[in-house]
Amino acid sequence: MLRTVYLKSLRDRLLGVSVGVVALFLTAWMGLWAYSGVDGADTYLASMPDAFVDLLGITRESGTAGLMMSMMFSFMGAFVLGGLAVSIGASAIAGEERDGTMNVLATAPRSRARLHASKAAAYLTLVIVGSAAASASYWVAAQLVGADVGTLNLTAATVHLTVVMLVYGILAFAIGAATGNRATASGIATGLLIVSFLGAGLLPLVSGWENVAKIFPWYYIDGPSPLINGTNWAQIGILAAVCVALLVVGGIAFRRRDLQAGAAASSFADRLRANPRIAEVMDRVRGSGSTRGLVSKAISDKQGVALLAAYGLLLLTLLMGPMFNALAGSLGDVVASMPDAVLAMVGFADYSTPTGWYHGEVLSITGPAVFAIVTIGTGVALATEERKRTISVILGAPVSRLRIAASKLTALVMLTVLCGVLLFAGIWLGDLIGGLNMDVGNIVAAATLQAALGLVFGTVAFAVAGCSGRSNAAVWTATGVALAGWAINTFVTVNPELDWLAKISPFYWALHLHPLDNGMDWTALAVLTGASAVLAVAGLVGYGRRDLRG
Amino acid sequence: MTQSPAIEVDHLTKKYGNFTAVDDVSLSIEHGEIFGFLGPNGAGKSTTIRSILDLIRPTLGACRVLGLDSRTDAVEIRRQLGFLPADLALYPNLTGRRTIQYLANLRGGVDMARVDQLAQRFDADLDRKVGEYSSGNRQKVGLILAFMHNPRVVILDEPITGLDPLVQLEFHTLMREHVNAGNTVFLSSHTLSEVERVADRVGFIRRGHLIAVERMSELREKSLRRITLEFPQPVPASAFDGLEGVHDATAEGATVTARYEGAMGPLLAVATAHGVLSLSTASVDLDEIFLEFYKEDPAQDSAEGNAA
Repeated sequence: MLRTVYLKSLRDRLLGVSVGVVALFLTAWMGLWAYSGVDGADTYLASMPDAFVDLLGITRESGTAGLMMSMMFSFMGAFVLGGLAVSIGASAIAGEERDGTMNVLATAPRSRARLHASKAAAYLTLVIVGSAAASASYWVAAQLVGADVGTLNLTAATVHLTVVMLVYGILAFAIGAATGNRATASGIATGLLIVSFLGAGLLPLVSGWENVAKIFPWYYIDGPSPLINGTNWAQIGILAAVCVALLVVGGIAFRRRDLQAGAAASSFADRLRANPRIAEVMDRVRGSGSTRGLVSKAISDKQGVALLAAYGLLLLTLLMGPMFNALAGSLGDVVASMPDAVLAMVGFADYSTPTGWYHGEVLSITGPAVFAIVTIGTGVALATEERKRTISVILGAPVSRLRIAASKLTALVMLTVLCGVLLFAGIWLGDLIGGLNMDVGNIVAAATLQAALGLVFGTVAFAVAGCSGRSNAAVWTATGVALAGWAINTFVTVNPELDWLAKISPFYWALHLHPLDNGMDWTALAVLTGASAVLAVAGLVGYGRRDLRG
Repeated sequence: MTQSPAIEVDHLTKKYGNFTAVDDVSLSIEHGEIFGFLGPNGAGKSTTIRSILDLIRPTLGACRVLGLDSRTDAVEIRRQLGFLPADLALYPNLTGRRTIQYLANLRGGVDMARVDQLAQRFDADLDRKVGEYSSGNRQKVGLILAFMHNPRVVILDEPITGLDPLVQLEFHTLMREHVNAGNTVFLSSHTLSEVERVADRVGFIRRGHLIAVERMSELREKSLRRITLEFPQPVPASAFDGLEGVHDATAEGATVTARYEGAMGPLLAVATAHGVLSLSTASVDLDEIFLEFYKEDPAQDSAEGNAA
């Protein structure tokens, strides 16, 4: 192993992992604190029906602390650690090629095998230590709040979560090593992560499909309930073997292939495009790289991600309709009779009604996540031109900075509206197919508020990009706002006394009046669009005033 | 009314925190000239150019192009201006032609026939993706972008990076044609030979200070030339001492080298008397003058150090 490569690889990513761990700690602390303020919460929890408890992936015995820990391991922590694992894994080797630094690294008198081993060792260290630190921080959070987690097996849950996240991360690492293409690596691994999350979460709800969920690694985060049952070493052994196999295959491929240098790297997509039929379909999805003008180029730059995300959302929301019918029987009407306090505690997810089902499964998390992917990616585009130094060429043409920034903003708004329209179409079609009799006006209201929520994330990225020109800062600030907003709204609102705090979260405004049940919340729409407008103006003004980078 | 200079840099200062990248630089570039802007890496060349383009904003002072202020009339300036940035970056997933179309659309009124003509002159392949280009091919696209709209002022930052000698030659011809038509070229470079070959005037910048602006023809006249003389047998260097215009004569065996200025007559008379077999003169001395400008000036640097 090459010590210097190992240490540098660790140092490069330490900050990212640390930020993730601190964010998880703060979320756990805030959630435990909010839960601890709900009187009689544990009693309510004990009175919940089995089906509902199972659906939420919690156990009755562990109380509210168990509910929070389960959320941290199977949801919040899984997504944060999974995101880190995939992004670091994809960049470990392929990132050096994208940046052109591989030319320097690979011409040192050291073998590729050692380079690969050093990168892999650094990668494993980062993910394992990061995951362990996150779990330790939950324990600290529980001590700070005085919550009892003594009956929970945090170590076992950490082992399960870490190994599952390594499957996705090492997949990205291996694809990056084998192809030298970072985008392909992170795209495939992220896609699998999302499909797994949905598959492992939704399939068990449909009778007859319960076992199919087990093909997804995600299932093993909390499927075997490690918090209660301890580590299932057989499952862990199989997952670890998959990780080792991926590492070995990636390492062999890395030793055999041509290395890429900088922007000239041909992507996996390029190779697919060699087939004219595939090329036609891909060009249609990705857009022809419109060069008509600033707005059309800005839109076509993001067209691929936006269309995939929006049509994915359409398909998912459409399937949710018939799925509700398949699952309604197992829940029955029992949930309808639950006291509000219990529903509040589990995020108001009243799965006994179609509107509650859509609210809990789509509007609370999947919808905003899809919007965030599209809007943050589009909002940051202004800074991307600086990072890639193409701004110097654009500003060689007689266009004002205001026009450039306004064009990027227009693209952001248009793609947000596109996603909003497809979200509406998906819920509406799901409603028609499932015969759920939801109010069309309410669906319009819900989709509008979701789009307004997404626009807030996008304009945060736009404002930071406009004022600083730093694309990483823009992406992470906007992602931070989205995650923190979600966490505050999800965990703080369980305690009605903390409603004032929840109001700082944009999620609160988009969700708290349940638009699918109650229609448009005009105040919320005004708050969200007002916030976006302020952020947009900040970005436009900031961009006009500062030195451009690059 | 007298015509405004093509480019005017007026007491430009640009600071980044405590670091002064450009310190009180003033320049005036006339119509119909190629102005060479020379300096070592990090001297402040690109900072000056980026201020003229309004990519960054002066801490003090101002820049004007064709009499228009770089801050308030940035868009109008860019209408009249062609620009090739240093270390050119383009969109890797567009072909050369799509890249040019995009920027031509942004600009408006570009004659695509001229684009084709330029592409032909530079032997540029515009049908492949920019990401697949070598740096030289990418640079050709950058040159087409800078010249495609026949701009009155062209600013080029390190333009010959990656270009092969044939294309460099074609590019130099194009530049000369462009200024002969009454336009202006501002050429930033650290390549001495390029500036020497094409520039009418040259400015030297070092550590953010403009240290000299000279007319190329005057520099050449001022410059000492070097002569190398071969004799059938060793000749002492002292034979050339005291001759008018001759400096630093040295002898090594049967070879004498010396630097001289002005007429060669007296020097040739002595050489002929010693039965000179061959002689060669070199104009590389301009390089030496440039290098003099490049070199650190210890006195000045320590003064700057004290001031900081």
